[in-house]
Amino acid sequence: MIYLDAGATTLEKPASVRRAVEKAVRTMSSPGRGSYPASHLAEETAFSCRTEAAELFGVSSPERVVFTENATHGLNIAIKSLVKPGDRVVISGYEHNAVTRPLCAIPRVERVIVDTPLFCPEQAVEEFQRAIGQGADVVICNHVSNVFGYRQPLEEIACLCREAGVPLIVDASQSAGVVPLHLEQLGAAFIAMPGHKGLYGPQGTGLLLCNCECNRPLMEGGTGSVSRQQTMPEELPDRLEAGTHNMPGIAGLLEGIRFVRSVGVEEIARHERCLARYAAQKLQELPGIRLWLAEKETEQTGVLSFVVEGRDCQELGELLAQRGVAVRAGLHCAPLAHRTAGTLETGTVRLSPSAFNTRNQIDQFVAELSDIIRENVRF
Amino acid sequence: MERYLMIARSVTQAQRMVRVLEQNGIFCRWFKAPTALSSSGCGYAVTLEEKYLSKAPALLEANGLIPLRIYKKVNDGYEEVSS
Repeated sequence: MIYLDAGATTLEKPASVRRAVEKAVRTMSSPGRGSYPASHLAEETAFSCRTEAAELFGVSSPERVVFTENATHGLNIAIKSLVKPGDRVVISGYEHNAVTRPLCAIPRVERVIVDTPLFCPEQAVEEFQRAIGQGADVVICNHVSNVFGYRQPLEEIACLCREAGVPLIVDASQSAGVVPLHLEQLGAAFIAMPGHKGLYGPQGTGLLLCNCECNRPLMEGGTGSVSRQQTMPEELPDRLEAGTHNMPGIAGLLEGIRFVRSVGVEEIARHERCLARYAAQKLQELPGIRLWLAEKETEQTGVLSFVVEGRDCQELGELLAQRGVAVRAGLHCAPLAHRTAGTLETGTVRLSPSAFNTRNQIDQFVAELSDIIRENVRF
Repeated sequence: MERYLMIARSVTQAQRMVRVLEQNGIFCRWFKAPTALSSSGCGYAVTLEEKYLSKAPALLEANGLIPLRIYKKVNDGYEEVSS
């Protein structure tokens, strides 16, 4: 199979990740629960993972790195910590349902959507400035669109938030491990990210980077600390980590983060971007192709969306899958992004390579698609 | 040899305390605090020798780590030496 759906999950993991998961299943129990070696090994692994993540993402201390199940989990904690009923929340026009649905669940929230065109960062900054200037309780913005790979002007938006004293929540689902990210420099209140995409960890892992004193637990329960107290501890990370940790996942995530750090975020980004732009170049030779490609390389990661005139994108996804090519078609759980880009009615086909894909695989993908289009193959 | 226990707020904080102290040449380790020293239940402690006690708290504080309490191990229990 040619797997080009790293935007959903990186399927191919470094061998060290697989080994760590297997070893954790055999050797680790619960961190913070016992005084025996299996518990200590879990504690050391969890601490190493927090420490390496803190170093990679510019977090002042490992306590501020909270383990979550995925980015959605982290975003829910962040949003429900900061957004109150009736608040005015400024969001970009490229947010995922992981942001918009939690907001809809909070009564009377006024969403102000900055729906500027793709790959127009200057215009986005102007519109964010205007929206924040009109009053905002919280700003939420993804770093990179999961549909179009559009790299939003996060540094500038964070600067506007700092100047206005408005807390910023960042969804780094598509940027963690692919675009440099520094919590302290941004001054964001929270950054949420998955472990299973650009950090090459297993599914069921995620990180929430906390730079905010307002941390509302989504769940209450055991933490292995201050057990007589019947409210959650005030201290991070315990405050936001009720229940037994996913140690196989965390052990794998640790090795995934080490892989990213050893190869380098910039190098991974360059590789993925080169593959996507190579794919774009080849796709443009096919009839009826429309794709969304930034003129400036720096404004787009390795995520590329396209449609084929007269063809249903879901059908194309199915046909490609039958030929051993894995892409994601449809709305990508981001109807707002599609609405902003004008593709809500059609959806798109998205390819998103990882560090493990090759140009040869892109050639094979394009050859299969070309065959489907030229032979008018139908599902 | 006198031993001292510094009570941490969480296992992660205890781990970081050990990391900071070891990076400064202070040998220590963390463990689950004795019940008598964790009034709120299930606490963590970092243990170290008396010779390090003069500089350890300042090193920790410089890294934003302030022990909840510090105890000295005595024959049949613990004696608070600082709070």
